[in-house]
Amino acid sequence: MKKLLISLAVLLVTAVSAQAGPEEDRMAFIKYYKGKFPNVPMEEYANGAYAIDPVGRENWEAIEEFPPYEPFIDRGQVMWEKPFANGKGYKDCFPDGPAIAHNYPRWDREQGLVMTLPLALNQCRKANSEKPLKYKKGPINDILSYIAFQSRGKVVNVEVPKDDPRAMAAYEDGKKFYFTRRGQLNFSCATCHVQNTGLKVRTEILSPSVGHITHWPVYRSKVDWGTVGTLHRRFTGCNKNIRAKPMKAQGPEYRNLEYFLSYLSNGLELNGPGARK
Amino acid sequence: MSLLDKYRIRQAENLEKTMNRVQRWAAVAIVLGLMAGSTALLAGEMKADAATASEAITRAEAAQKKADSVNGEWRDTGKFIKNAKKAVEEGDYAKAIRLANKAESEGNLGYQQAVSQSKLEIPSYLKAMY
Amino acid sequence: MRKMVRLVSTLVVITSAAWLTACSNKPVTKQEPAAMAAPSDPKIVAAGKAIATGRSQGNCLACHMIEDGESPGNIGPPLIAMKARFPDKAKLRAQIWDATAANPESAMVPFGRFKVLTDDEIDKVVEYIWTL
Ligand code: HEC
Ligand code: HEC
Repeated sequence: MKKLLISLAVLLVTAVSAQAGPEEDRMAFIKYYKGKFPNVPMEEYANGAYAIDPVGRENWEAIEEFPPYEPFIDRGQVMWEKPFANGKGYKDCFPDGPAIAHNYPRWDREQGLVMTLPLALNQCRKANSEKPLKYKKGPINDILSYIAFQSRGKVVNVEVPKDDPRAMAAYEDGKKFYFTRRGQLNFSCATCHVQNTGLKVRTEILSPSVGHITHWPVYRSKVDWGTVGTLHRRFTGCNKNIRAKPMKAQGPEYRNLEYFLSYLSNGLELNGPGARK
Repeated sequence: MSLLDKYRIRQAENLEKTMNRVQRWAAVAIVLGLMAGSTALLAGEMKADAATASEAITRAEAAQKKADSVNGEWRDTGKFIKNAKKAVEEGDYAKAIRLANKAESEGNLGYQQAVSQSKLEIPSYLKAMY
Repeated sequence: MRKMVRLVSTLVVITSAAWLTACSNKPVTKQEPAAMAAPSDPKIVAAGKAIATGRSQGNCLACHMIEDGESPGNIGPPLIAMKARFPDKAKLRAQIWDATAANPESAMVPFGRFKVLTDDEIDKVVEYIWTL
């Protein structure tokens, strides 16, 4: 009888934590990272691995003195201001712009999907008969750099509206993706960015997931980047490294993943564009 | 030692030698048998002609599709299938079959990997934080 | 003499049986063939080292410190005193074949189960790791 009660209690606890809401998830992540890095102040998480890697940080600070993403911001500003062929422009789609990065990702009730900034930009282009931009490389990074720079200092505040179960389902889907092992090497995002945060794969120190979305797009000096790239390009890279077939950039899987991941950074200030190794 | 004793010992030794010989031949026979059997098996399985290769590719594509249907496809499965098709064009059916079999096995493993996790489980290291 | 012959014939039968299973190309979870092996053959050990430390195959250095291997990670423990840690070679092989069997939350790649390495490659890696 006692055993039965205990196992019932265990079941209950399991059920509860598996269905924990976004805020419980965020608090659990933060508690976990605080346990690992008791001396890292919360706002430092926006700096990724450099919050926990003093050697890498020195290099990074030197790089940030002459930011490699600056030309991208400048080109992005030109894009933002230049009218489309029909005479309208981004400004018409985003009247509150250009400091709007903190409004994304958000739940789009009408379309019933997670709206990200890149998707919103392309919907704007489409509505104005412009060709959509590619989601990983190229000019989308210019305009994203400009918007990110203008949005610096805004606070991440992702909401999962309770009155639309589809929003919670999207969040849960992203969470499921995050914890699912994939690829021939059998890793989940959590294996690297939670279980082994702070440890090294070869020479790379693994960053916490809290803070992962504050600084996109990112200039990476790595040879096969050498330019600014999007968050979904990063997802693609992390999936390929574990020999999993990456999902489509801005497809539902990655947008839901971004939704979950972004919620974890609620309360942090945006500081994009970023520079990373 | 009597003559009779010596005789008995020699008899015993002879018997042992015979037994050893028998054992050795038995072992050789078993080995040969196994090799023959497995070679036949090998030949059966590696029959490298266009039809076999195309069947292997069909199976690989089915496995790939199954894995993809649960978002469980691995990175190189598609590449293996593509290269298998190229090998068929080049008439290298053995290579095509080898690649297709590899892709099929990846498809099956990727599928299993995904469905074995169909329920979300928060790992213990994080669960302890709730 | 008789014992020798018996041993040899048993060995022969076992190797040919192993050969048979290898040929029949079925996914076999053979966990203990290494137990029969003679003292480590330096050629096999060297081959195992190349697989374990190379980036494209075992890439064990991504997570483990191994001897003086270059830029090791530290997700797994340093691989030292392996004979003492694994008196039973079959257990060592099992760890490499599929670490998640013993610990479902292991971060270690299931090298055998997911065919990152072939059974033969794993045998060689085991021989090398056991010398550490
Ligand atoms: C094999 C380990 C591994 C896995 C699995 C992995 N990553 Fe990464 N990830 C890295 C490494 C290494 C870096 C670069 C160093 C760092 O910032 O952690 C990185 C960087 C990132 C970054 C950029 C961090 C920054 O500060 O700019 C994001 C975002 C990210 N990963 C997300 C993910 C997501 C989402 C998943 C799951 C789909 C994932 N990663 C899976 C190893 C991994
Ligand atoms: C992605 C990281 C990773 C890689 C790559 C990796 N391991 Fe491991 N390994 C671990 C972890 C983590 C452990 C700790 C035990 C566990 O979780 O299974 C471990 C444990 C071990 C152990 C047990 C050590 C002990 O003292 O108990 C051995 C032996 C081992 N690994 C061998 C290897 C070999 C050989 C390779 C390469 C073929 C390899 N590992 C590749 C992560 C890794």
